[in-house]
Amino acid sequence: MILEPARRKRPPEDESFVGIRVGVLLIVAFALFGVVALRLWFLQILSGDAYVAVAADNRLREVRVEAPRGVIYDRNGKILVENRAGLTVGILPMAMWNPKKNPQEFAAEISRLAEVLEVPEGDLLAAYDRAKKDPYVTYPVKEDVPEDTVVAYLKEHGEEFPGVQVEKAFVRRYPLKSLATHVLGYVGEISQSELDREEFATLKIGAHIGKDGVERTYDSYLRGTDGWKTVEVDAAGRPKRFLEDVAPAPGANLVLTIDSELQAAAEHAIVEGIQRAHEQGYVNAAGGAVVALDPRNGEVRALASYPDYDPSLWVGGMSKKKFSELNAEQAHQPLFNRALNGLYPAGSTFKPFVAAAALNAGLITPESTFDCSGKFSVAGQTWKDWLQGGHGPGVDLIEAIKESCDVYFYNLGNLLYQQQGPVLQDGVRRFGFGQTTGIDLPGETDKTRVPDKYWKREHGNTAEDKLWKPGDEINLAIGQGDLLVTPMQIAVALAAIANGGTVWVPRLGLRITDASGNVVHQFEHEQRAELGINPRILEVIGEGMILVTSATGGTARAAFEGFPIPVAGKTGTAEKKPDDDYALFMAYAPAGADQVPEIVVVAVIEQGGHGSSVAAPVVRRVLEAYFHTESGGTEIIPVTE
Amino acid sequence: MGQYLRSLDWVLLGATLALVTYGLLMLYSATHEDTNISSPFYYVRSQAVGFVLGFVLLVIISLSNYRVLRRFRTYIYGANLAALILTLVIGSGSQEVGANRWIELPFFSLQTSELAKLLLILSLGGVLSEGAELRHRFRFVVFTVLYILIPSVLVFLQPDLGTALVFGAILVTMLVVWGIRLPHLGILGGGALVGAVLVLRVLPALGLRLLKDYQLKRLTLFLNPESDPTGLGYQLTQSKIAIGSGMFTGKGYLHGTQTHLNFLPAHHTDFIFAVVGEELGFLGAMLLLGLYSVVIWRTLRIARLSSDLYGRLIAAGVAGVMIFQVFVNVGMTIGIMPVTGIPLPFMSFGSSALVVFLMAIGFLQSIHVHSVAGQER
Repeated sequence: MILEPARRKRPPEDESFVGIRVGVLLIVAFALFGVVALRLWFLQILSGDAYVAVAADNRLREVRVEAPRGVIYDRNGKILVENRAGLTVGILPMAMWNPKKNPQEFAAEISRLAEVLEVPEGDLLAAYDRAKKDPYVTYPVKEDVPEDTVVAYLKEHGEEFPGVQVEKAFVRRYPLKSLATHVLGYVGEISQSELDREEFATLKIGAHIGKDGVERTYDSYLRGTDGWKTVEVDAAGRPKRFLEDVAPAPGANLVLTIDSELQAAAEHAIVEGIQRAHEQGYVNAAGGAVVALDPRNGEVRALASYPDYDPSLWVGGMSKKKFSELNAEQAHQPLFNRALNGLYPAGSTFKPFVAAAALNAGLITPESTFDCSGKFSVAGQTWKDWLQGGHGPGVDLIEAIKESCDVYFYNLGNLLYQQQGPVLQDGVRRFGFGQTTGIDLPGETDKTRVPDKYWKREHGNTAEDKLWKPGDEINLAIGQGDLLVTPMQIAVALAAIANGGTVWVPRLGLRITDASGNVVHQFEHEQRAELGINPRILEVIGEGMILVTSATGGTARAAFEGFPIPVAGKTGTAEKKPDDDYALFMAYAPAGADQVPEIVVVAVIEQGGHGSSVAAPVVRRVLEAYFHTESGGTEIIPVTE
Repeated sequence: MGQYLRSLDWVLLGATLALVTYGLLMLYSATHEDTNISSPFYYVRSQAVGFVLGFVLLVIISLSNYRVLRRFRTYIYGANLAALILTLVIGSGSQEVGANRWIELPFFSLQTSELAKLLLILSLGGVLSEGAELRHRFRFVVFTVLYILIPSVLVFLQPDLGTALVFGAILVTMLVVWGIRLPHLGILGGGALVGAVLVLRVLPALGLRLLKDYQLKRLTLFLNPESDPTGLGYQLTQSKIAIGSGMFTGKGYLHGTQTHLNFLPAHHTDFIFAVVGEELGFLGAMLLLGLYSVVIWRTLRIARLSSDLYGRLIAAGVAGVMIFQVFVNVGMTIGIMPVTGIPLPFMSFGSSALVVFLMAIGFLQSIHVHSVAGQER
């Protein structure tokens, strides 16, 4: 290189205004930089706080750590529901194909995933729509996915499934299979409408709550408190650091009043009862219910409804296919809890309560008699007794209950009709008929009914039909007509007879315990009402009911042949046209003077025919299980009602 | 030698070295956690090699006489065009935009468009100083426009819109210092405006697309970055978040969350300023702008002091490049300028650019040494 300047003649320069021109450039430069500085001042000083918050949102993710749900035990400490580890497949929208930019790839991935998980594509798309509101959070699309097949496939073909993730989660396990399925209910992901409710205010999308049964009633105990992890993630959503870690608090355990052995016996007895109905020609018998209640405190020892179903079908969400199978007509409504919500005419099981109403009103005494010729006529209408030829002259209360004499109760109905006011209706309502029992299960029916003139006026079809007539009262006196009761109502009412007059609120929750078994909360027994009926009246009715199972001519004598414990019972064969007759039986034991009844059992076999030959043996089976007595009695039980 | 040393512009040199150091520090912060590199110093080392090479060239050029080059202006121009054409033919580049930017030399990947800025300043300076008598001739102005249009088209074809715009900035600043008549400047400005409207609005409507779709989108996206939350709009939004969340003093060196968790894309190249804003805050950004201001002030001072028109024009061209690139790049990161892919001088990763800017500083020193001020000191 040459340091010396080249000495050549150069053209003269226009030196005018050089300083100004350069100065203008400098001013322009500083003006532009001034604009930049002002903008920086605005961004960093005036809006800095807002951008700090956005930057934190960018990098910090709160990951919910779901608390394991509490275990549900029966009264003897046997596990009814527990948790097991399951694998959940979820989607992370930001890692998936963008449906706008790569619609084909996105659609292909969704359809592959739908096929592998056996979930409808529409469900996955709906899940994606919900999930993309928070595209950095994995949203579960299918729980409890089998590891060796589906998860293994997903892992092997990971490249075909960007954004599809497998996570460990707890799911419900039912060691006793379908036992007490209607009591337990199920757990599911919280829905949008549930999220809006105040009781779930602390929960977030993706949380699990009890949806039915005691899972629902005692959800707040069972659920526990979710923990969370604060994770710092990079732009690709990869976790970099855990900044904060709050461990989940597991849910408390629930001990039920249910005795799983008695429950199993009850469920089995219904199946037996349906078989027996079929043998007796009642081929339409398909469903039934049993309730066993402790009359001393209202604790439910067994609550069985048949048909039942496998509650583990709910784990991971029930498939539409399964759900429609369960709702098919030939499935006979397995999801329906007949013990609590089945609406039946009480039939003759209503008679003891009618008798109590009449005795309490002073219309009759235990010694009052009516002649039974096999039929009863009033106002030009005639009713027949179930026993052709009748029960003879001079039937008193005890004999009427023992033999389920219809004519005796027709007379009572006629007598009650002539009273001022709804004596019969008020009398039976004291036992809880026509009202919900208040049991600690969700969704108890409010469609039960004790008909009276007001109801008739409102619901009659014609002007004639709107009138409450003697026939209505007479039908009601034998548990027919427009009466609708549930097995649970019958059990609560019978318990009041058995315990001398206390109407209990039936209860399934016994206590709440912590992980080490310490009692956290003991649920109180709750009295709904006292009957206010002279205990002597209830004793007399009980005497008649004891004869039902023990005396010659008692309608359930054959069913309880050889049973070592004194049982007070009452058969019922309810008409519900156009169905076949419904078989009912209710009982308590031990019965009699000096005895404290421990257990009330009610059984209904839908379209099972006769209470005496179909429902009574069901109750006997349950009582045998309760008292641990040898199975006995004749296999073939003659029809007596 | 002592005279030479006394004749150097030490303020300019100091500010330049401060900028390079600042750049290396921020480059380390931005890249040391990148997962696709073999060593945390991968980018810093590469940039430092560029610095060493550039500094050697700076010293050599400052020792030499820039005036010699005026005679070779046509050869320089021709070599410049040849290099740009060669780049289009055999150049390598990134796959995703399909651009050819680099010529692979045995020891160095040369980004010819960076060198082209300096070569264009040197040759255009020669042309303008030869044409000093033609200031009143608008035809001559038109000739200079055509003169830069050819290399502009060549870089535009790479495609590199940003450098083409830098060429325009070079022409304007050099013409202003050269002494362009105001009416001519007005016509030139009006013509540029019409051209922009033609390219951006009219021609696309007629079906003639000079700009690729992504280029058009980039030019307008800064007005509404939320309209594209996943692509480039995402980058712009994240850049603003990074800078804004730096507040007054920043999150601390190496502690920028936007940078280190990769929310900030291209954090070592086009968006390096956002790293400064996030980690060192308003203060760090002002320090950086201050250093640029010093460099530009000294450059324009050299333009004023230059003993000849050629040196004056070279200094003006260098100042134009720096003013334009700093403003457009920083403006992009703070959401007031469109995305054109223009890097930040001395800061953005890219050793070709660093070497060329250091060479430019070398020329400024040479002009300073040969100027009256340099002689008098």
